[in-house]
Amino acid sequence: MEDYKFLFKVVLVGNAGVGKTCLVRRFTQGMFPPGQGATIGVDFMIKTIEIDNEKVKLQIWDTAGQERFRSITQSYYRSAHALILIYDITSQPTFDCLNDWLREIDEYANNRVLRVLVGNKIDKEDREIPSHVGQDFAQRHDMRYLETSAKQADNVEKLFVQIASELMEQAKSKGISTESPQSLPFNTRTSKTINDFCCNR
Amino acid sequence: MSNVSFCCYEQADVMKCVDTIVDKCTDPGCCLSRMRPRYKRLVDNIFPSVPQEGLVKNNMEKLTFYALSSPEKLDRIGEYLFQKASRDISRKRNEFVMIAMEAMDQLLVACHAQTLNLFVESYLRIVQKLLESSEPSLQILATQSFVRFSNIEEDTPSYHRRYDFFVSKFSSMCHNNNANLATLEMIRMAGIKGIQGVIRKTVSDDLVENIWEPVHMDKIVPSLLFNMHTMKSKSDIVVESGISEEVNDKNDAFSLAESCLRELIGRASFGHVKSVIRPVLKHLDAHHMWVPNVFATQCFRILMFSIQSQYSYAVVETLMTHLDENSNASPKIRTSIADVLSKIIAIAANESVGPTVLEIINSLLTNLRTSVTRRPPSNIGLAESDGENEYREALIHALGEFAAHLPDYQKIEIMMFIMSKVPQLKSSNNPNDLHVQRMCLKSLLMVSTKYCSVQMNATFPQSFLDLLLKTLTASEDEIRFIVLRILHTLLDRHNNASKFSKATVNITKSEINLEKCSRSDTIFIRKHAQDIYVSIYECLEITNNTVDNVEAVYTTLALICIELLSEETVLDFIRLILSIQELAITNAVLSTQQKFHLHALVVSIMLLVAIIIDLHPLKIYINKIIEQRKLLNATHLLPELSIHNEIKSISLLPAGVLIEEPELTEALKASGIDITKTGPVLTHRRSWVENTNMSMKGSYTDLSNLDLDSVNSTPAMQRRFSPNEDLSFEAMKRSLLDNPAVKAEQNTRQTQLCDLYRNASFQDLVAISTASKDEESLHTKITDVFNKVDLSNKLSAIETNNNSKPIYETLFPELFAF
Repeated sequence: MEDYKFLFKVVLVGNAGVGKTCLVRRFTQGMFPPGQGATIGVDFMIKTIEIDNEKVKLQIWDTAGQERFRSITQSYYRSAHALILIYDITSQPTFDCLNDWLREIDEYANNRVLRVLVGNKIDKEDREIPSHVGQDFAQRHDMRYLETSAKQADNVEKLFVQIASELMEQAKSKGISTESPQSLPFNTRTSKTINDFCCNR
Repeated sequence: MSNVSFCCYEQADVMKCVDTIVDKCTDPGCCLSRMRPRYKRLVDNIFPSVPQEGLVKNNMEKLTFYALSSPEKLDRIGEYLFQKASRDISRKRNEFVMIAMEAMDQLLVACHAQTLNLFVESYLRIVQKLLESSEPSLQILATQSFVRFSNIEEDTPSYHRRYDFFVSKFSSMCHNNNANLATLEMIRMAGIKGIQGVIRKTVSDDLVENIWEPVHMDKIVPSLLFNMHTMKSKSDIVVESGISEEVNDKNDAFSLAESCLRELIGRASFGHVKSVIRPVLKHLDAHHMWVPNVFATQCFRILMFSIQSQYSYAVVETLMTHLDENSNASPKIRTSIADVLSKIIAIAANESVGPTVLEIINSLLTNLRTSVTRRPPSNIGLAESDGENEYREALIHALGEFAAHLPDYQKIEIMMFIMSKVPQLKSSNNPNDLHVQRMCLKSLLMVSTKYCSVQMNATFPQSFLDLLLKTLTASEDEIRFIVLRILHTLLDRHNNASKFSKATVNITKSEINLEKCSRSDTIFIRKHAQDIYVSIYECLEITNNTVDNVEAVYTTLALICIELLSEETVLDFIRLILSIQELAITNAVLSTQQKFHLHALVVSIMLLVAIIIDLHPLKIYINKIIEQRKLLNATHLLPELSIHNEIKSISLLPAGVLIEEPELTEALKASGIDITKTGPVLTHRRSWVENTNMSMKGSYTDLSNLDLDSVNSTPAMQRRFSPNEDLSFEAMKRSLLDNPAVKAEQNTRQTQLCDLYRNASFQDLVAISTASKDEESLHTKITDVFNKVDLSNKLSAIETNNNSKPIYETLFPELFAF
């Protein structure tokens, strides 16, 4: 039944091969797909979670990291409520690209979008980016920071729950009656009807 | 379908499923059912007890009837169906979901009341719900249903309906990467169909959602393109394996995406064209699909053919802007873009009007110019500049393609426009400017080849002709050559140019495509003969003329002769030829080789004139000269034009090989050409020839030794008319033998001055003298000169019995009035 109260759109971005798809799979399906191929274009997943006894539906758009799909992936930023920017803690280049990603986000995403920096693959031994470096970077750019492992399911649930509750806070502070969590022109109808629907019940 | 999904489940699952349904379905039968609203009972009844049985048809009819008779209940039916369906989805009872969808579809089709609006809300929520599930079969089911829905024309606007999720989801489906190839293709095709559905639903209804927003287009267009180029390879294989294209037409993702793109662009209004094209360009950039540009070309052709034709130039414009934006990209990419441009520009040409045409041309020229100026002066890597050249060629080609498809009157406009863009630099030191000039003229040549002259006065408006002729005397031989070629293409109405690409004396009338010169052409040549001839003459005077140049001049003259000359206008032309011969004899700056070429040019053109205008005596005379030249082993004075190194400087111009004016006059008289009538023109012509000579040599001819020269020249002139000595031959010989530079210079100056003062009218002399800026002694000099002229005239008059009487005397008896 459609008994959720909030609908949030979460978009995952980051270099190819940092584990975006695995993170989503782990969260939505509870599995770690070994040998996951490169995502083409954009993938879509949905997951409903419960926070403070309220059901929150997360629409997760998992974008391709490859350069050639940049044009289509960018088009998904705008409608996002939250952007998860992922890098691989064992790969310096993926960290170095973060600035480029931020520039893209600034250009294409809503400026009030919730941004979360995630260092993935902490299960690996050969860490190249120390935790505090990521932390610093996140702080400098006004982002949340979290380190995860999709393989071992470390912090994955926590990541999404945090995002959901934060977005919920934001939405509540603006008042539930005033339509969508973030005044995005996009989602107005959906959440309105959802709210109506909830009220009817 | 149900069988397929059935197979996906374990037997136990299905049994459990069936059990619960049996449980539920018994509900309406019990006493409680009486308390349920009627619509709920009706809805419940359409579901079979066992999902394999499918929709209960009878009960469905009842439900439809009920919905039709009480449409106000439709929204509740929708709501209830939605609840049921979403419960089934979450419980993974896909068969029942399918039944619910089928019921919804039927209701949608059956009901066309205003209340459908609310029902649609519930309906779309189910579709969304289905799309959200990760089950491919449900996604496909949802799409199929949605496509059906999209074909329903709604008469009431839906103000608050939003399709953003659908666009996002369908686009993501277009990129599906399922491990199973069949599933992959099915989902991708479903995605494309879904997009098509959204487009259909939204474009026709302005109130719904602006599908043209970049937010949507940035998803839709790349998705379609992605399917077009990834699925293309597969359909190629299919074609190769022998299955005809019609069979799998519409059935593969490629053609589906293509038709969807066509539909999209076909519906785009002017303001929306750009929002479609921009993602296309972005996509091509991102996927590096400019080099090679097969797909890009294909893509743009699709766009061009499907777009409402009045907007087609907007595509060209956008592509052009893209080219501008990519001005720093590698030449290869730019070449490819320009190539695509050249391939589609023709399609736009038919629809382009007015300023847009010039805008496009201007933009192309600007690109050409930037390409030229971009060239780094110091480090020109060979490969780099090669690419750059190809890029320029591609641009010029594009220009040509564009021009080719414009109506003729616009071609003239364009030629004038390009001409006005040609930098007019006679003494340019800047290699870039020269290069720009060359490029512009090349593009002009390209346009002119596409133009088909009908009337010369239409082809050559005054300002265009002026600029063209001005450029004809440019200092670069290559540029002059291009201008001559432009003249060829514009003059040549009867495809004769190829026959006259090389100077020849072996031509017969039957080989030439001739048409009687029309009245307006005669007027044209009469009006412009002066300008044209002067320019050609000046062009021949320039010292860096190559054989190609001279031959090009030959072609030009031949074409003028064929296209424009009639008996009334032939005389001017003949005079031009004579002047050229004189140039060859007297000019000091030209090399011997060049002079030979001029002689060959003169004789072959003269012959051609005789043939074309049917001047039989002239033809005989010229043939005689040709024979003479052959006889005296002076073949270097005949075509072919080539480098005659073997010729010794002695016996370069044997006697009797030149076209002599008196004989010519006789021949012309015999042909019935009235010489006296056009007398003044000749004077005038002479004066211009001399004037130009004067102004050219002005730098080293100062007036102080003018007298002296005059005096010196008088005996020379005397000698010239002695019967047994050919002066020009003599002069030539001497000039070549001893100290050629100085001697020749002196000789020429003498001859020139001599000719000038003998023939020019008083006014002309005044004009010349004033031009020389020596006004103090003007009067005395004039009187001096005047006396000498008088004297020389008398001297000449005495010798009128000589058979080598100069032509001007015969032609201008009135000159003796002095």
